[in-house]
Amino acid sequence: MAEAATARADATVRLGARNISKFYGPVRANRDISLSVAPGEIHAIVGENGAGKSTLMRILQGMEHPDSGAIIVDDQEVRFSQPQQALETGIGMVHQEFMLAPDLTLLENLVLGDEPVSFAAGPLSRIDWAQALQSGEELAKKTGVAVDWRRRAGGTPVHIQQTVEIIRLLRRGTRILILDEPTAVLAPQQVEDLFVLLRNLRDAGTTILFISHKLKEVVALADRVTVIRRGEVSYSANVSETDSDTIARYIVGGNDTSLIETGRASRGKAGDGEVVLNVAGLEAPSLEKSHPLHGVSLSVRKGEIVGLAAVSGNGQDELVECLVGLRSASSGRVDLLGGDVTHATNGERRRKGIAYISADRRHEGLATLAPVEDNVVAGSHDRPPIGKGMFLSLKQKRRVATERLASVDVRYGHLSDPVSSLSGGNQQRLVFAREIASDPKVMVVSQPTRGVDLNGIAAIHKLLLQFRDDGGSVLLVSEELEELLYLCDRIVVMAAGRIVGETPVEGTDIAEIGRMMVMQGHADG
Amino acid sequence: MVNASVESHSSAMSPSIWLEKGFGLAFPFIVALVVAAVILLVIGENPIDIFSLMAKESFGSERRIAATLSAATPLLFTAVATAVCFRTGVFNVGVEGAFVVGGIAAAFIGFSLPAGMGFTIIPVAFAFAALVGAIWLYIPGVLLAKLQVDEVVSTLMLNFVAFGVTGYLVNGPLLSEVSGNNVTPPVHEAAELTRLMPPSTLHAGFIVGILVVIAYAVWTRRTPTGFSAAMVGYSQRFSRAVGISVPASIILVMVLSGVVAGFGGASHALGQLHRFTDGFSPGYGFTGMAVALLGRNSAIGIVLGAILFGALASAGTTIQLFSNIPLDLVNIIQGTVMIFAVVEIGRLRLLTRRAAP
Repeated sequence: MAEAATARADATVRLGARNISKFYGPVRANRDISLSVAPGEIHAIVGENGAGKSTLMRILQGMEHPDSGAIIVDDQEVRFSQPQQALETGIGMVHQEFMLAPDLTLLENLVLGDEPVSFAAGPLSRIDWAQALQSGEELAKKTGVAVDWRRRAGGTPVHIQQTVEIIRLLRRGTRILILDEPTAVLAPQQVEDLFVLLRNLRDAGTTILFISHKLKEVVALADRVTVIRRGEVSYSANVSETDSDTIARYIVGGNDTSLIETGRASRGKAGDGEVVLNVAGLEAPSLEKSHPLHGVSLSVRKGEIVGLAAVSGNGQDELVECLVGLRSASSGRVDLLGGDVTHATNGERRRKGIAYISADRRHEGLATLAPVEDNVVAGSHDRPPIGKGMFLSLKQKRRVATERLASVDVRYGHLSDPVSSLSGGNQQRLVFAREIASDPKVMVVSQPTRGVDLNGIAAIHKLLLQFRDDGGSVLLVSEELEELLYLCDRIVVMAAGRIVGETPVEGTDIAEIGRMMVMQGHADG
Repeated sequence: MVNASVESHSSAMSPSIWLEKGFGLAFPFIVALVVAAVILLVIGENPIDIFSLMAKESFGSERRIAATLSAATPLLFTAVATAVCFRTGVFNVGVEGAFVVGGIAAAFIGFSLPAGMGFTIIPVAFAFAALVGAIWLYIPGVLLAKLQVDEVVSTLMLNFVAFGVTGYLVNGPLLSEVSGNNVTPPVHEAAELTRLMPPSTLHAGFIVGILVVIAYAVWTRRTPTGFSAAMVGYSQRFSRAVGISVPASIILVMVLSGVVAGFGGASHALGQLHRFTDGFSPGYGFTGMAVALLGRNSAIGIVLGAILFGALASAGTTIQLFSNIPLDLVNIIQGTVMIFAVVEIGRLRLLTRRAAP
């Protein structure tokens, strides 16, 4: 609180990280992250989903321990063995999912875990509700909001719940407030109110760390911004000395200009060929922590690769699921090879000629514990040559599997080994072997090279280009803009569940696409 | 749902894998024998004597073997009925109920059709029992496939419905007028399954059970629907994404489970008891679950598991005649085997989770 903050006004770094690294097995979540937040500053942390922001926040909060590096509070190195210690030090976090108990009133939630008591301790001790209410009212006045403390938390609008979370932390002595994408659940006007509240808190001495991937909000609210990309700090600057374009470029990694000039495969010869996949006015509800689709329209012609660029969680996964028949659209229409497939199942669409490379290879692209053989024939096991009427030919199954695996050079031990024994690149090749074998006309391909080594990437790129040259069409979703520029004939940009732009690849650079991806990511708040 | 779909992909595995698998299969028994041995030592008996007595009582003579196979017969059916679902990741615990309703259905046909039909009553009774069993488990199957109603709860509850309904029927509409309480009239003599080794109760139902296990083996490996079901057991998301209909697989395996459990009930009613009685099944459905877990859903594992549990049951009934050992010892062994068979499933789930974090 304000008193606490002034007591340590001489500190130059209120909250900081020094060379923090954190690994989950082989996955590098944070590498050598350094960060310093000055007292009374609003500091924005931006980056794509999965960039490592949440890991860093969990470390700062004492929920995870860094493998190396240190946390700094008031210029001093500190160690938290549990979240409680961080809270006592004055670090409080407002999570995306609010932590209020829905069946308690807001006042009960406010004091939960730290109730003011009369008669001190002993059997006669009881909660002093008058004092609780008074402290709540005081803090509410300070933050400039009106709270009806007797309401049940579960029946309270989200923005009030959020305010109560903040007040609750302030009451516990929080002077460093961490907010994890606080505007994700708010309507535009409520975002304004929240910003007013946060500025008031800052002016009263609270230091604020604010996680977001909406650049407009960062520019509007923050004093300083730090960009995290792939687990590392890629950029840090005062907001007054930078601009959104620059930040955007660092978020999507467009500053590696080396690949852009040279990295172009031969273009397809689509011209104005027939449209094989057409999407019109598609609307669909969203997955968790993502965006619903709003009137998405796009088309893919015969013999072209169309890229779909979007920061993750902006509706591309929903769109892909709608296209392949794993999610039903609430309105709009999908046409595949001239026929309406809006309400067709995945199996029906596959029989019409669509194939699907899932972004989630381990859970959707493969059954990791099932044998290599079964993974590569699944989906065509019920028709000739493998399926013959009621029966399945083991001999044909083995033959087909062996041929398919050889066709894309998958390295495996034995057909009966579980697919999890293969390397990432070989697993993805196996997926391609299965999908291409059904002789599709259109492939919907999502993040095909994620977690694949360099050789594997080259092989997968070759497969996609070959498929296109043979007259196939591809919708390619990727977070790797270099990959999109390398493979695609044109690129469609999606943000917040809408198509926000389309550009041919010639004459476009990563910065331009990056700007579209990030700048419009908040069209509807 | 439980992912219990690990089967032998036998084609060409190294000896060490076979060894590991063999040990994995035997492990619950080893632990159970150790536990039993400790208990026997505590109560002052010689475990080796008791175990050899048990072995003699279950496999020591032609008659004892027949008794063991007779006790294994219902387990063949209930274990296959369970395995069909488990390998698909559907945790159906309602085989017991389907077995019971299948039993009363077969008994009803067996005494109500004209005796003049002769042995043709038997296939009619089996077919009717299968139909009733299939409908019985179709209901939770559809609820799971279409509405994601938890199958453990629905099938477990349906067991109580089965006990209640059949209990009412044998005390009311189907009550025998001459035999007293809680039983239906006996089936016609022509409807009884042949005794294979009189005077033992081993009957032709055992052969039907073996045929069912063979059919199960063929279905799992050599049919498209069996393949689809295995994929659903490995991963529902994967199956959906490659165009396999998950709801269709779930409903199919529940119906198949009902058919097999119904057959089991018919076999037990026509071959063993020759009627339906209250308390028709002393938990065959649940013991069958243990057999399926123990046998890792494989056909051979199911046959071996059923015979082993049959042996325990047949030894248990006579062992207390010849020693001071109470029947409870057999129950302890059975219980320990089941616990460790379930532990094995837990280990498999853990592996699944590690493979897919």
